Amino acid sequence: MAPDDVEGRDMPGLGGEHGADGDPMRGKDVRLDKVSIRFGEATAVHPTDLSIHAGEFFSILGPSGCGKTTILRTISGFIHPTEGRVLIGGEDMAGKEPNERPTALIFQNLALFPLMSVAENVAFGLEARGIGKAERLKRAQELLELVALGGFGDKKPADLSGGQRQRVAIARALAVEPSVLLLDEPLSALDLKLRQHMRTELRAIQRRVGITFIYITHDQGEALAMSDRVAVMSRGRLEQVAEADMLYADPATPFVATFVGEQNVLRGRVATLAGGEAGVDTPVGRLQGRTSGTLSVGDEALVMVRPERIALAGTGENSFPARLVSRSLEGPSVNLDCAAADQQFMVTLPNGPAIRELPEELSLSFGRQDALVFPVGALANG
Amino acid sequence: MGSLARAYGKPLATLIALITVIWILALILVPLGAMVQQSLWWRDAKGSVSLTIDRLYNDIAVLELDQGNATDPAKKAAIEAQLAAKQAEVTELEAQEKNPPKTYGFANFTRMSSLHFYIFVRTIIYALMVTLLALVVCYPVAYVVALASGPRKAVILMVCLIVPYAINELLRVYAWLMILDYRGVINGILGWLGIVDLDNRGWIPFLENPSAVFLAMIYTYVLFMVFPMVNTLETLDRNQIEAARDLGASTVRIHRRVIIPHAKPGIAVGCIMTFMLSAGSYSVPSIMTRGQGGDWFSQLVYRQFYESNNWNMGSAYAVSLLVVCTIFILIMMRLFGVGLRDIAK
Amino acid sequence: MSASAADSRSAQLVLNIYVGLFVLYLFLPLAVMSAAAFNSYDYPSVTQWRGFTLEWFVALAHDQRLLQGLVNSVLVALGVIVVSIPAGLSGALILTRLGQRSGTMLYSVLVSPVLTPGIILGISSLIFWRQFGVAGGLFVAVMAQSSFIASYAMLLFLARLQRQDRTLEEAALDLGASHTMVFRRITLPFLAPTCFTAAVVAFLQSFENYNTTVFAIGGEWTLVTEIASRMRFGLSPVINVVGVIFVVVTLLAATSYVVLRGKPKR
Repeated sequence: MAPDDVEGRDMPGLGGEHGADGDPMRGKDVRLDKVSIRFGEATAVHPTDLSIHAGEFFSILGPSGCGKTTILRTISGFIHPTEGRVLIGGEDMAGKEPNERPTALIFQNLALFPLMSVAENVAFGLEARGIGKAERLKRAQELLELVALGGFGDKKPADLSGGQRQRVAIARALAVEPSVLLLDEPLSALDLKLRQHMRTELRAIQRRVGITFIYITHDQGEALAMSDRVAVMSRGRLEQVAEADMLYADPATPFVATFVGEQNVLRGRVATLAGGEAGVDTPVGRLQGRTSGTLSVGDEALVMVRPERIALAGTGENSFPARLVSRSLEGPSVNLDCAAADQQFMVTLPNGPAIRELPEELSLSFGRQDALVFPVGALANG
Repeated sequence: MGSLARAYGKPLATLIALITVIWILALILVPLGAMVQQSLWWRDAKGSVSLTIDRLYNDIAVLELDQGNATDPAKKAAIEAQLAAKQAEVTELEAQEKNPPKTYGFANFTRMSSLHFYIFVRTIIYALMVTLLALVVCYPVAYVVALASGPRKAVILMVCLIVPYAINELLRVYAWLMILDYRGVINGILGWLGIVDLDNRGWIPFLENPSAVFLAMIYTYVLFMVFPMVNTLETLDRNQIEAARDLGASTVRIHRRVIIPHAKPGIAVGCIMTFMLSAGSYSVPSIMTRGQGGDWFSQLVYRQFYESNNWNMGSAYAVSLLVVCTIFILIMMRLFGVGLRDIAK
Repeated sequence: MSASAADSRSAQLVLNIYVGLFVLYLFLPLAVMSAAAFNSYDYPSVTQWRGFTLEWFVALAHDQRLLQGLVNSVLVALGVIVVSIPAGLSGALILTRLGQRSGTMLYSVLVSPVLTPGIILGISSLIFWRQFGVAGGLFVAVMAQSSFIASYAMLLFLARLQRQDRTLEEAALDLGASHTMVFRRITLPFLAPTCFTAAVVAFLQSFENYNTTVFAIGGEWTLVTEIASRMRFGLSPVINVVGVIFVVVTLLAATSYVVLRGKPKR
């Protein structure tokens, strides 16, 4: 994602006029080279290689305690890796403190300085760089206008709403013209509506300034909605790094498959293997699905299929009878809770008149391209 | 040191480490060490040395007389040699008399007279009694202030406790001096009632009784028991008391099983502070006895320093007091199962 | 049910009477002392009342030794502030960053003066400074008092630092600030109210201190040591006047403190 994606409004304070040599703020790539992080006995991050491109919106997605915040703090310099190197723009960051790195971090709690005014907050990084008072306050004002807080410079952070504080934190981080902006779940404290609004806002700001955003979240919706690419982490390891679409459509591990989106999971034993597809004997009969794993015939395996991939009609391959237990209306879609051979199935269908008149006995089916087969052992990792 | 440098940067970390080290060394540990060291040596009494010197001068005078009378040169030379030897001895001893050599040992502790040791033990027993009495008196007060009253009443009570607490301890002692003096309030009232005859010095000499010190001491230090207890009791969830009452516990049982266990750190702190203050108090006894009596151990310490000018002995007394206080603190910490971090809050 | 309610009401009554008596016990001696300051009788007394007078206030105003003592007390207290605030702050800053084990060790050393009898602090300072040829006096008094007042200051700073949001300092660092700038712009402003409180506490502790000072002061005197030696030589209404001033100032300070905070001292 090069800066030529830039669209929309002008960017006062962020365009070429302020760069030291006339360059616009430009993103740098971030590379983790066999980085591992241990705290005493505990391993927070296992040896990890990761390459984040310059100017991309990159998310690290995972449950709490998976090591994603540790990685973020390692990139920003608060934690030094036990082994391996962190490179930003090709430069080794070993021995560089947070205040010497071309990164800016937006904290989960935002960490706005409560005793300073909003403008002083935004100007703080410029003050640290020895820029004169008049100049830095002028640029703080420009940045505040960028985030639509032009008239709020004299207020204290405590006087602002959650969303406004959010934008102050962004302006403050952008003021130092970082090459990489690191965001540690900054939206988690906001209510749902505001959170969704801020997603689009963040994405738009990233497009405008063109720098690298690394976004940490446990919310898959946020990650999928904003990111160019997403890394999924679990227990200190990267499970998969892929574009958002691919992550959903083609998860590499059972953990990713179940953590991103919903899955119906069936346990069974591999009966056939041919051409990247496996036939698995499950309690509802033999099911066919794609596999890329290291399965052999007779292994225990998991068959996964997403609720919206299951259809109500159909016979033959990958179809089986089921009983409708209950349904719940989601608005545009309806979730059906079905049971087949003591297995629970969730089926998501678009809402429509036909849904209201469903019989109790159903026949469920799905295509063999829509099912994924994983070895059982792999789930233990997740 | 590494984590400090990371937190505050090298220059600042060095500065604060330096200040702290100076504080520890120059204000806490080395002065304490100096006091302990002072308590461990003494200079020999001058008496015996002076006596020897006097005797030597006598000998010298006799020898000089002999020298004048002697005619035989050989004998004269022998006397001169003797004389020189004696004179050398005198010079050495005189130097010693001026600046006797230090002797190290525990004699400053073991030489404490039986009277002083009796006062030492009595001081500790009195301090323990002050502590116990203060605990008994203050527990209901702390309970009322922290739990049993409404917030408004608690504030008013707090002011009522803070004011006497904040007034200088000397003045609190002085107030009792006025009450117990020969022409004090009590004797005044008794005289007015015709029980004592003030005009003919027929007053009751309350101040000459050691319990006067004891009375004033309780008054002076009782509040050091209240505040630590109030602080811990305030954190007790009142619902716990109500739950216990709801479960049918008697008042005594509620106090024993719910309130006192919760107040433990406060009780420990209160006891430690009250004991430490009363065992080491110089103000109360010195004022109540007008500097006359030697009822309290701290007065003996003061006299060693400022009247007998025997700093070594005084230091030994001070170290003994410190040891007792330390043992008391350790016992309280063990007894109440609290750590030092709970204590100093 | 009603019986037990009556029980608890009467128990409450007994408790209230008890606390009332306790407060009376606390205040009555002080009231007696204060009243005697206005008695026109050269022995402080309330039982022999010779009429209302303010002459002892005038006498106090002309008492050079007491006034000099007041000046000395203020000098010592200011000295104590200068020594103990930086020391207490440094100790607290170190302790908040140390691990549990080494922290507890250092904490014990730094807090120990609070738990040491005052006379011992005075004596050890006296002995320590004599080795450098410094005799007892105002300087040694400052040093002796600071040894424990710095601990109190440290406890105040520690309590404040425990409520500090560490991410603020990290955010400032991340924005490129040097450690010194973080300290100056983030940490110090956060600690400023505590610096003020600690200075007030240090001043009062120093001003009121007797047991430590009396050993360290040597031939000099502060207001409090002077009052004490007067008390030993006999009672004088001038001392009662000092007492009245102390009581009034304390009352005003305590009331305004409680009113300002809206909460009792903790």
